Amino acid sequence: MTSPLKTPDTDPRGWFERRLPVMSLLRREYVAFPMPRNLNALWSFGAFLIVTMVFMVASGLFLAINYTPDITQAFASVEAIDRQIPSGWFIRSLHMGGVTMLFACLYIHIGRSLWYGSYKAPRELLWLTGLGLMLMVMVTAFAGYVLPWGQMSYWGATVILNAVHAIPLIGQPLSELLLGGDTLGNVALHRLFVLHFTMAFAILAAIALHVAALHVVKSNNPSGIDPVSPSQTLPFHPYYTSRDGFALCLFLMVYAGLVFFLPDLLTLADNYVQANPLVTPRDIRPEWYFAPFYAILRAVPSRLGGLLLASGSLAVLFVLPWLDRSAVRPATRRPMVRLSLPLAFAAFILLGIAGMHAPTPAWLLASRVAMAWWFIHFLLVMPLASEREMSS
Amino acid sequence: MTQSETPPSSDGTRRRDLLATGTVVLGCAGACALAVPFVESLKNPAATPLSDRLLHVDLSSLTPGQDMTLRWRDWPVFIQHRTPEMLAALQAPDHLATLRDADSKVLQQPKDATNWHRSVRPEYGVLIGVCTHLGCVPSFEKPGSTPEAKGGYFCPCHGSHFDAAGRVARRAPAPCNLPVPPVTFLSDTKLRIGHSAGDPGFSMSDIQQI
Amino acid sequence: MTHWPRNFLLATSLTVLPAAASTPAQRGLMVFQQVCSACHGLEHVDYGDMSSLGLSTDEIRKWAADQQLPNGTDDNGDPKTRPATATDPILSPYPNEAVGRLANHGLLPPDLSRLALTLPGGAGEIRQILLSYAPAPAGVKLDEGRYYNTALKWKHIGMPPPLQDGMLTYPDGTQATPAQMAGDVSAFLDWVAHPHQAERRRIGIYVLAYLALMALLTFLLQRRIWKGRR
Repeated sequence: MTSPLKTPDTDPRGWFERRLPVMSLLRREYVAFPMPRNLNALWSFGAFLIVTMVFMVASGLFLAINYTPDITQAFASVEAIDRQIPSGWFIRSLHMGGVTMLFACLYIHIGRSLWYGSYKAPRELLWLTGLGLMLMVMVTAFAGYVLPWGQMSYWGATVILNAVHAIPLIGQPLSELLLGGDTLGNVALHRLFVLHFTMAFAILAAIALHVAALHVVKSNNPSGIDPVSPSQTLPFHPYYTSRDGFALCLFLMVYAGLVFFLPDLLTLADNYVQANPLVTPRDIRPEWYFAPFYAILRAVPSRLGGLLLASGSLAVLFVLPWLDRSAVRPATRRPMVRLSLPLAFAAFILLGIAGMHAPTPAWLLASRVAMAWWFIHFLLVMPLASEREMSS
Repeated sequence: MTQSETPPSSDGTRRRDLLATGTVVLGCAGACALAVPFVESLKNPAATPLSDRLLHVDLSSLTPGQDMTLRWRDWPVFIQHRTPEMLAALQAPDHLATLRDADSKVLQQPKDATNWHRSVRPEYGVLIGVCTHLGCVPSFEKPGSTPEAKGGYFCPCHGSHFDAAGRVARRAPAPCNLPVPPVTFLSDTKLRIGHSAGDPGFSMSDIQQI
Repeated sequence: MTHWPRNFLLATSLTVLPAAASTPAQRGLMVFQQVCSACHGLEHVDYGDMSSLGLSTDEIRKWAADQQLPNGTDDNGDPKTRPATATDPILSPYPNEAVGRLANHGLLPPDLSRLALTLPGGAGEIRQILLSYAPAPAGVKLDEGRYYNTALKWKHIGMPPPLQDGMLTYPDGTQATPAQMAGDVSAFLDWVAHPHQAERRRIGIYVLAYLALMALLTFLLQRRIWKGRR
């Protein structure tokens, strides 16, 4: 095939290509892009995340058209979306179900990186941009959850903003910036609406950065050994487009099941009661995706300590590429990590379950054990394991 | 890159093409179907046929030469109490020559207002104050306020002139006369906007340009 | 096989007499209109929303026109009202919270728009509460405006027993016993608390079928593409 660059100006493809080479860029990055041959299904979750994000932004825009960011009307405007706006129930369910799908895929995507050592050199920046994306999604999810102005919105926001307030030095100015007043009210709702809306597009930009970083260092693979010759790779299209397409259909079936058949499965019914600053709901708890961090917050009998450990549980991920010095990537080839990492995954899930239950002594104990293992794995096992592997 | 090219298999290629085309077409159809609820949600849920709500107006405080503006079905409604001079000006032949539609041929009013004064009673004019050009609200030029003001309307947006009966001047960009709502006089000073006793079948949706 | 004639008769009666028969939710709407709406509202639900329950436009318009809504003030500053239309919400009969509390010994009758979703136990619990009134046992002294009810944790409720045998006549001939009415009105409130649920499930079936077909096609496609490559 001759390059369009060599064609005369009468050929529209060559004319276009010399002025704006997007077609060759797309061909290079999404058609001929070399992929390892041995990727498994866990490598499809990045595609799921992008698709979910597109659904979130599209449904979010159409929700924003009908939403009123005012404490007297926010709740009623969301009810109107659910009841009177044509297809409003579908768009809102898509958005609410999308959060669950987004976080589920995000956690699996990160878990896959941990298991196969995708955070190691030369992919440290890929890992850090990914973690940055996760933090952005968390901030956006928090701001978005306040918008319907239900009981859980109000009290969740109250608790989080007070937690932010307790952070030394930056906490007070930051919470005042978000709150815009003495109490959670109209000003704060407006600010959180703008924050939610803006962050959505910032996330899209960060995804572009993350994908750009991926295309520099290329995909890791289950063996942990980067392909060296072209015979060890396959072009992205049609091999991985078709595979991801199939995986995407299965993924969308789960998503559709949530939207059409179980819209109330993972939502808290108390958020269908309008916010009442005089009454805190008896059974207050976060949405499932924040439950692990909430469990840590509750398990520590000190406000500052809880905040430090909850944020520390994420911070250890940021420094992981430097805690784990071993050159061996997949956990399958590292005896200690192969035992310790599944326990850390189990600890995360256990924290999530504990966060959804009332803080009985048994659940508090379970949270503390799980939290301890999370930190032991990252701060002790990982450096120790890499030490032993390096010396042997 | 030869290694990563798809091998040309004589038996498989045709079937794959059919399968690939079918999958892509069906996938695109699904994406289009997904767009339907999004577009649908943009429909105005309150767009139910408006019953012509009735508005009762007391005209007793409106002296000759005065005008008032009311709100009816979210439109500004101008009511003017015309003086004999204004009525005379409406019939002056050299004035009629400057008008686009002096005889109200275009359906912009109920039948009982299709006359030289475009109202049920000559001394009262009732008009919808929405310029037929691009929808601005014209302002009333009180008769005598300037030497040339004869009690007409002037649209600030693009300079359309209407006379006191809402008839548009030929030199103006507006295409039609100002609309007249259906009205009924219940007594000499009581007016009901929204239904015309003289043209009971009239509805605002019949109006050509509003 | 002795049951089949009865089942057959039941099935035909449901298909042959759709006009005379009505669903529990439709009967429950009648209970709401004639009983609950004396104190409770459905402030997020419009009269027009009842069309998806099977009410005709005329029935909705007639019901709405009988309800008065606050409509600003007149020239003297006194409150005015107007008849409701299909696009108006089904408001509580009390113009504000204070009046509602004054009329009910200090307790405000809750809005019912989402009650079947937010009340632990849902519609079943609503039915249970409606059927669990009993005379207070000896020795139990209740405050004024409180009624003994075994369904609640503290055994009392601020709502007077709302349902009496035969207090309304169902057009389909169903006997209006308290148990029947409680079941019907809880079905209605369940329908109200889960808007568009029937439509949601109906469309969901088609979407899942489409995605299953797409999954099959993409599976075949990717298997063909990957043939001999792994």
